Amino acid sequence: MANITKKVSWSGRGEEGTPLLNGSEEVKYTRQLSGGGMFHIGRLSTVDLDEDITPEEDAVRSKPKEIPHNEKLLSLKYESLDYDNIENHLFLEEERRMGHMSFRCLEISRWVICGLIGVLTGLIACFIDIVVEKLAGVKYVVVKKSIDKNTEIGGMCISLILWAALNSAFVMVGAIIVAFFEPIAAGSGIPQIKCYLNGVKVPRVVRLKTLMVKVCGVICSVAGGLAVGKEGPMIHSGAVVAAGVSQGRSTSLKKDFKIFEYFRRDTEKRDFVSAGAAAGVSAAFGAPVGGVLFSLEEGASFWNQLLTWRIFFASMISTFTLNFVLSIYHKKTGELSSPGLINFGSFDLKSVKYNIYEIPLFIVMGAIGGLLGALFNVLNYWLTIFRIRYVHRPCLQVMEAMLVAAVTATVSFAMIYFSNDCQPLETQKSSEDYSLQGFCADGEYSAMATAFFNTPERSVRSLFHSPAGTYKLETLGCFTLVYFFLACWTYGLTVSAGVFIPSLLIGAAWGRLFGIMLPYIALNPSVFTDPGKYALMGAAAQLGGIVRMTLSLTVILVEATGNVTYGLPIMLVLMTAKIVGDYFIEVSEVLHSSPSYREVMSSPVTCFNRVEKVGTIVDVLSNTSTNHNGFPVIIQTAASEEPGKLCGLILRSQLIVLLKHKVFVERARSRLRQRKLQLKDFRDAYPRFPPIQSIHVSQDERECMMDLTEFMNPTPYTVPQDTSLPRVFKLFRALGLRHLVVVDDDNRVIGLVTRKDLARYHLGKHGLEELHLAHT
Amino acid sequence: MGGFTLCGRMLCWLLWGSPLALIGPLNLSVLAAEASQTKPPSFLFLPEKALDGLGYFSSLSLAAKFPEDLEITEDCLKLLLVFGQRYVDLVSCLVSSARPVEVCQNCYGAYSSFNETYSNITSDTMGPKNDSCQESLMHSDRLMLLYRLYSSLQTIWGSAECTSCLTKDHKGLLNSTLNFISSQNSTLSCFEKYKGNHSELCTECKVTYKRLNELYSNLEKNGSLCIDIEDAMNVTRRLWSKNFDCTVKREELVPVIAVSSFMLFLPVIFYLSNFLHSEQKKRKLIHPKRAKSNHSLMNIQDKFS
Repeated sequence: MANITKKVSWSGRGEEGTPLLNGSEEVKYTRQLSGGGMFHIGRLSTVDLDEDITPEEDAVRSKPKEIPHNEKLLSLKYESLDYDNIENHLFLEEERRMGHMSFRCLEISRWVICGLIGVLTGLIACFIDIVVEKLAGVKYVVVKKSIDKNTEIGGMCISLILWAALNSAFVMVGAIIVAFFEPIAAGSGIPQIKCYLNGVKVPRVVRLKTLMVKVCGVICSVAGGLAVGKEGPMIHSGAVVAAGVSQGRSTSLKKDFKIFEYFRRDTEKRDFVSAGAAAGVSAAFGAPVGGVLFSLEEGASFWNQLLTWRIFFASMISTFTLNFVLSIYHKKTGELSSPGLINFGSFDLKSVKYNIYEIPLFIVMGAIGGLLGALFNVLNYWLTIFRIRYVHRPCLQVMEAMLVAAVTATVSFAMIYFSNDCQPLETQKSSEDYSLQGFCADGEYSAMATAFFNTPERSVRSLFHSPAGTYKLETLGCFTLVYFFLACWTYGLTVSAGVFIPSLLIGAAWGRLFGIMLPYIALNPSVFTDPGKYALMGAAAQLGGIVRMTLSLTVILVEATGNVTYGLPIMLVLMTAKIVGDYFIEVSEVLHSSPSYREVMSSPVTCFNRVEKVGTIVDVLSNTSTNHNGFPVIIQTAASEEPGKLCGLILRSQLIVLLKHKVFVERARSRLRQRKLQLKDFRDAYPRFPPIQSIHVSQDERECMMDLTEFMNPTPYTVPQDTSLPRVFKLFRALGLRHLVVVDDDNRVIGLVTRKDLARYHLGKHGLEELHLAHT
Repeated sequence: MGGFTLCGRMLCWLLWGSPLALIGPLNLSVLAAEASQTKPPSFLFLPEKALDGLGYFSSLSLAAKFPEDLEITEDCLKLLLVFGQRYVDLVSCLVSSARPVEVCQNCYGAYSSFNETYSNITSDTMGPKNDSCQESLMHSDRLMLLYRLYSSLQTIWGSAECTSCLTKDHKGLLNSTLNFISSQNSTLSCFEKYKGNHSELCTECKVTYKRLNELYSNLEKNGSLCIDIEDAMNVTRRLWSKNFDCTVKREELVPVIAVSSFMLFLPVIFYLSNFLHSEQKKRKLIHPKRAKSNHSLMNIQDKFS
């Protein structure tokens, strides 16, 4: 028990810290930053984390505690998904019944669903893009007119207030629908989708309502001028679409199309959700391969070729749809040249080539990106903790979002007002951007205004592609600084928005700054003429430093630039950014070690007999303090003191369906012609199984017996009791298990390990830490 | 002058002995008539033309060595001659109106006659001997001199965007363009009038300057800007903003700073009040069942801390 030597490290899969993409959700679920307030087992403190109280052992432990929210909490809200097929009698029977033809049909319908997912995701992306463009266009035109007028006749304050009010109004709408109708739609939704793909179900994450709120929320927050992007939410939207389409019905709309009934279970649904996420990435960045790799990197632990191929199909269809519809919108029907929501513009190799001596420079930039990313995450982390503790009422959250919007407008206005960086106007350019003259000479525009007075995407493009000399040093410096803090502050608000674009924008700004400064320090200034590629590398570094993704991000960026030769530098930059960032804060690296998992498992286990009294089952299920989900089924031996021998595993959801249909032994005897319960009944209840409270069981029925033999999974996965914790982890990860029964030599149940049990343990800087389960 | 050309024609007859060349002078005279219509000054350059003619007599003797079906015909030579002339006209016009840019206003005539010549060469009218000048002049060698000369001028003309200032038949300037030019002239004369006193200039000429700006932005919206107008506008704007320093000054520093700092102060109040008045969110803890948990966990914790 004492040798704690072997350290197993694994990258942020499964339960353990998915990269900090959305502070609030993330923190609720896992913890990344092991600095700050440690919360040791047996050192429970009542109010403050840092306040030490001597261990009070069992007396304290037995009653529920109330503590302030901190990062070391695991919410009970989050349920695991059952990826393991329940191979009970019903299931096997159905598999036997299905012929060759019906398997064919299933295969075809899988492809059809993937195609549908792609098309719908692409259409949603188009909708968001077009509406944002229209709304933002109207806003900027109004503000620009006001500024132009007031520059001359005075009263700039009115323009300032107008701008701030417009921003706040948009953001208010976005924040209200998120805060009051569907809080789960806040943020980018990427962490939630990652959780889903890894087998953790965040409630309501793939509902139609969430999708609606998400789409409207994104439109409002981007049009409201917040430092956010619309790319992250696309991934969530794609996943929701997939989860909806694959089920062939909508529980929210109470409409059942009676199709795709076979896919109504966690395993199948998860496959489609990963296709949806891939389609979302592909629509957002125009990166079909990147989308597939995103799903691969973040999601499915069990991966087969056919699934990959289907996912790729979905991504391609999605990017094609977006392309095609946008080409119609831009009145160039059939011209398929704008593949993603964010368009980096083309990086032509002829104009922007790089040389071998620039590689070290790129690596330096990667290191800077990692540092800044770590800083961003730390700041955001503290802010998030503060928000969860003090700003948790919906009306306060809406107010906060509005304040951020107003301050964003104010700061931008002030920057433009006091900037002296004027650039000569080009005739072609002025029609596309909302260029502001400000106090520049006639025929010139304010360079600060192109950076601030624009949607973030356009600013990014301008930073990438404007010819050298478009921005002055001090303009970029101010912009980077201000935008960094704005983005940091904005991120984690109760609005739906992504962090990709702000990261890219911050990175592009300091990257360009870097590129502009190079000629001053270089021996041969003429070599470093084009700052555009440094802007690109800076953007990659910053994004890598903040989200810490590796493979998929590289491919996404390469695809977005449309230039394969940038693959090497982008990869190096992202690698350096991740290494440097992880050195400062461990976001995803979690160590696990223990000689045995004995401490982890629950024991004694709540078990059911093969033929169990209904009353017992109802009592166990309605016990809120335990809230277990899987129950081993045992055959009780004569000596009742000993735990019984294991013969199967049954899930809470199954028991509820059984209770609902009143499948009792007594009834079966009395009414022989009663219809036999089929797999369909389980599928119809999926995924919203009613809570136990809603099922009425009369006093008579409580005395009945229930035969679980037919419905339980007779072959659950088990481990002997001496297995090491790393080994258990491997099993969980490789098979996507939810429950693992621990048995002794005689196949008697000793304990039960669940995902949550494992999730609660991780090795921080101060040793093995346990997370606390909390009601929310 | 006439003697020279006549002489050349005689020689041609002698050397080539082809009756087809009879058509040559007819052709040439027609072209010359056209030229005189569109651009009278071209006659001023006739001596040069004559010199060119001389130049090609010497080459003519070289050409005589080739079999006749491989070389160019008389009338093609004539076309070549005219092409050279028109080219020279156009280039000299462009250069003379380079600064300040008045390319479109001054040279549209020269440009259209140059264009006409080129299209005469390229048009596929077959000569009597079933050969076209297009073949012999354009596609005979890899240098393709005529084409290059033509396309270089074409690029210049294209980037000047002169077509948006000209009428459809390229015979004159658009009314809007003329309007703009007159407006610009009045602005400049106003500048001239008040040159001595800048502050007076800024107030006095503001009306005409604004009108000019409006005209310009209207033209910009219609897409009828050419380099002449753009350049004129640029010069005027630079005079206005830089030389006479009439741009708007920041005069509202105090109110802007006040409003901005008020806005920036709002979140501070918001967070502070929340921090002080809002109650913290508490969470209930659940304690799992554990086998021998206390002992072993304390053990682990001791190990690590």
